Amino acid sequence: MIDIDILIVGAGPAGLAAAIQAKTAATAAGREISVVVIDKAPSAGSHVLSGAAFESACLDDLVPGWRTMRNSFTETMVPVERDEMLFLTGSKAITIPKKVVPSRMHHTGDVVISASRMTQFLSEQAEKAGVEVFHGTTARTLIVEDGVVRGVRLAELGLAADGSPKGNHVPVEEIRARVTILADGTHGTISTQYIERFGAGKGPQSFALGMKAIVQFQEASPFGNNRVVHTLGYPNKPSTFGGGFMYAMGEKTVAVGLILGLDWKTGDLDPQREFETWRAHPAIAAMLKGGIVVATGAKTIPEGGFFALPTLSAPGAMITGDGAGFVNLEKIKGLHYAIRTGMAAAETAVGALGADGAVGSLDGYRGRLEAAGVMAEMHHARNYRQVFKLGLYFGTPMSLVSSFLPGRLGMHTDGRATKVGARVRRADPGRMDGATFVSLTGTIHREDEPSHITIPNPDACIACERDYAAACTNFCPGDVYRWDGAKIVLSPSNCLHCMACSSKCPVANITWVAPEGGEGPHYKQL
Amino acid sequence: MHVIVLVKQVPDVSNIPEDAWDREKGTLRRGLLDSVLNPLDLHALSFAKMLTAGDPDAKTIYLTMGPPQARDVLVDCLSRAPGEAVLLTDRAMGGADTPATAYSLAQGIRRIERELLGGSRDYLIVTGMQSVDGDTAQVPPQIAEDLGIDQIAYVQGVELTPKLKFRRIGATGIEDVIPATFPTLVTITACMDTLYSGFHASRAARKSNIHIWSAADVEAAPDRIGIKGSRTTVYRIFSPSEDRAKTCEMVTDPAQLVAKIKAKYRLATGGPAVHEEGAYALEGRTAMYHGPFWVLAESEGDDVKTVSLEILGKTRELAQFLGEKVGVVLPAASVSDELAASLIAHGADTVYAIEDPRLAEFNALRWKAAISALVLEHKPQVMLFGATPLGRELAPRIAYASDSGLTADCTKLEIGDFKANVAILKQTRPALGGNIMATIMTKDSPTQMATVRPGVFKIPPPDPTRKGEVVRIKPNLPDVPVSTVIPIESFTSKVSIRDAKILVSGGHGIRNRADFDRLLNPLAGGLTALLGDDAKVSASRHAVEDGFTTHDYQVGQTGQTVAPRLYMAIGISGAVQHISGMQMSDTVVAINKDPRARIFNYADFGIVGDLETVVPALTRAAQEAAR
Repeated sequence: MIDIDILIVGAGPAGLAAAIQAKTAATAAGREISVVVIDKAPSAGSHVLSGAAFESACLDDLVPGWRTMRNSFTETMVPVERDEMLFLTGSKAITIPKKVVPSRMHHTGDVVISASRMTQFLSEQAEKAGVEVFHGTTARTLIVEDGVVRGVRLAELGLAADGSPKGNHVPVEEIRARVTILADGTHGTISTQYIERFGAGKGPQSFALGMKAIVQFQEASPFGNNRVVHTLGYPNKPSTFGGGFMYAMGEKTVAVGLILGLDWKTGDLDPQREFETWRAHPAIAAMLKGGIVVATGAKTIPEGGFFALPTLSAPGAMITGDGAGFVNLEKIKGLHYAIRTGMAAAETAVGALGADGAVGSLDGYRGRLEAAGVMAEMHHARNYRQVFKLGLYFGTPMSLVSSFLPGRLGMHTDGRATKVGARVRRADPGRMDGATFVSLTGTIHREDEPSHITIPNPDACIACERDYAAACTNFCPGDVYRWDGAKIVLSPSNCLHCMACSSKCPVANITWVAPEGGEGPHYKQL
Repeated sequence: MHVIVLVKQVPDVSNIPEDAWDREKGTLRRGLLDSVLNPLDLHALSFAKMLTAGDPDAKTIYLTMGPPQARDVLVDCLSRAPGEAVLLTDRAMGGADTPATAYSLAQGIRRIERELLGGSRDYLIVTGMQSVDGDTAQVPPQIAEDLGIDQIAYVQGVELTPKLKFRRIGATGIEDVIPATFPTLVTITACMDTLYSGFHASRAARKSNIHIWSAADVEAAPDRIGIKGSRTTVYRIFSPSEDRAKTCEMVTDPAQLVAKIKAKYRLATGGPAVHEEGAYALEGRTAMYHGPFWVLAESEGDDVKTVSLEILGKTRELAQFLGEKVGVVLPAASVSDELAASLIAHGADTVYAIEDPRLAEFNALRWKAAISALVLEHKPQVMLFGATPLGRELAPRIAYASDSGLTADCTKLEIGDFKANVAILKQTRPALGGNIMATIMTKDSPTQMATVRPGVFKIPPPDPTRKGEVVRIKPNLPDVPVSTVIPIESFTSKVSIRDAKILVSGGHGIRNRADFDRLLNPLAGGLTALLGDDAKVSASRHAVEDGFTTHDYQVGQTGQTVAPRLYMAIGISGAVQHISGMQMSDTVVAINKDPRARIFNYADFGIVGDLETVVPALTRAAQEAAR
């Protein structure tokens, strides 16, 4: 017997928006439906990380009256009043005049939020609405029968390092539902299986990696409040896509981050070191003087854009948010899409649930996204990221007109972008080390479980070490990989679940599966 | 055999977001912390499942007391292992300290026995060894005291047949205990795999029926619950000093470093920093409590334990401020004149030697009976115990039996003004996993009681000319059924790194396991010879991950928290998670090739250099100096 009407995989902004909206839509239709959300994270929001300068209008539709509610999310929200873009050279910062920055890239009117806190808030709202939310629950396999998605199978629990069951073993469980909404985020395990089964987009998906830190001050910060700054240039080579951000989260707190397109060419590039190098830039360091880093995190961002969007609906399932690639790289924003796509999927699902237990077509999902303006915005930004393949100096001006370029510019997968022998040879800026960065994410995994990261062909690593400087030992912000002189040694308990390794390994030789539930980072205010 | 599992909802102290701190007030905004099932209770759940396995008639009943949202932890329990659940919730029960909590839970247990177990006495009460927010371990012995039953603390294993037998960490070593009667209360240490909550079990648990009982439902007397029933009150909460920022003295010559280590080691006391308090004088003020200051002494053969002498020295100082006498209570089979004289020399005015052959071995019920009779007769204003396994089991019972407040694990004691012109004993202890400090005062009690962490206070030099009296007492001991105790392994054969006075800790800077052993073991040997205390080898997380040694020897957030007198950090960079595990060490020496390594910020002495040359040179220097 199937007693779950809608199963949502992933309790991030997209999944919880879907859950809340499903309850709202059902109530409006005078119906009672059961909605279940599952997530691998230990608690609400602990795997959610974003900038985040947030276009908050979507929340007015999802949770009317949210602005007047008092909670840890709204109390730490800061409206943006000043918005600047800087170009960094090795020692200087040049303000890019407002007129040159396209209006779509202005952030005044946004609010700076903690996406993790917003997720905690949405989780509470969902539970209030009668949604069943389960954390520490890892989906491993999409169940597809006769071409119809029926739900998911979970990870088995309590395995010893050799894979044998321990005394507390729980076998694989199945969750079956009438409609499954996929919201498991960037490079999500279930979304990836869905895309393989039901069809990827015309263009390949590619990713950027975002590194983030919360900087805390004893007194008011030199950076100031109600301010956001984006930077281009240093420390990136012109061939590396990326930029920095600084968002005020109140008088004494600044969120800072560096986003790098994963298609960088140098095997020895260490994004955490790049982040530290960026923070050491005189202009950035001056704005952060006296602050201490109290929390860190890293996560990939899908940046394939419009052409990388997969088949959006299949019999019994829809795909939403980052898992589908709903991110606008022109605005570097995905949160509002997560919420909009979640809501649209929920409305579609509720409409398709027949009273007799039958489920109608979910193909109306795309139409709802078009009506919400999501598809048009995605289309507008379709080539923004792609032109940066041309490099910063040509790409930047091209990006301003990219929306007028006809058709589609090509991109290929991130790992293959790494060039044999290419090196960035970045000097150690002598700041935070990798171990400290990892410990500030609060990540933890059971030490005696089977590794959730595997290297199918260790021989391939030898060539990679020679050609690409054992790229994983550099690109992983969790310091999971170490080269011991002959092979890669893994520390899977360090893993930040950022998913960089799933696309950046130059020899495509890393398999990442979600570990048993309740593990990974513990983001609280990222 | 039925099982009642006691659980508690606690704030998640393992992961405190930065903005949950109110740095100005030095307090934590509890609202920003997640609420979770006390992690140490998870072991009790696994244990309960083991006890009831294979017995279809055995019932498991989860019991907690808390606000209505404490229901969540009962749902968590039910999703891990099936059973029934009871939530004691009542506004009047809020703000309870340990005796008020113990009383309420004992009343709940009485009703469970009557109604859910059909009057059967064939059950065990099982709980975690302590809660991670309070860390007092006082509630379980006080529940046992209220119910008049035995307690078996720090259990780590069980044999079900032929006779129920618990393996536990006793005061002197590992031992097996066969309980004499039922029910018995058992507290569990970390010893087994945590039960998971599967999806379908969790879903069913959320929909299950939970008994919700108020104070009236369990016939709890209104004056014994909540704030009214509490015997302590929090005077102040503040933040422990943020970073123990040290000035690291850089040394180049290993021989010079050895000399410095040796000189500093002699001065060091180990453990948390010693608080030198200014004297207190009454000067016209009145004391809130009256009567002598007492100390419970623990003996080991013909010697008094170090911790008892540490507390005695401090008590002498505090008593003088108020012009009071100092009494020492010492239960034993017999107390020699030399032992009594030594206690007087260390500060006692009166030694109460409670002598009976049945007191030769520690038994909480007998000792409590003997000591609390004396306490009720003399009504000391202060009574202090060592926070030893014995003290932590005994003190809660004596406090409960004498209706006195008790503060656990104090690291600071002072006489101070409670309000204008009234002096009181201020008892300061770490709470919330060491994240905050709390100063606590006793209220509505005949005696202010506290347990004190070993190693916090210095032993003042004895004065053999001091005079005192020895009162020998023949106690009136109750005829209690006594559990059978079978010693298994003595602690002297196995010293954990937590107890080591010297730790030589290796990290990522050491290349392989052979080097780890080759470099560190001789250095530990050299330091042992130099300083006369046994040096142990420990490791950072990296070194453990690299297989240099096992997790038992790991120092840090996910390993052990240590506070040795000397901590040698060899090739350790000083990640936050490592620092949090060793920053209470008295003297820290760092050796690292990277002069910017964070560990130097936490070290007293440092050498920058290649481990391969520095460590053997240091070892040789230590060996030579030891000759």
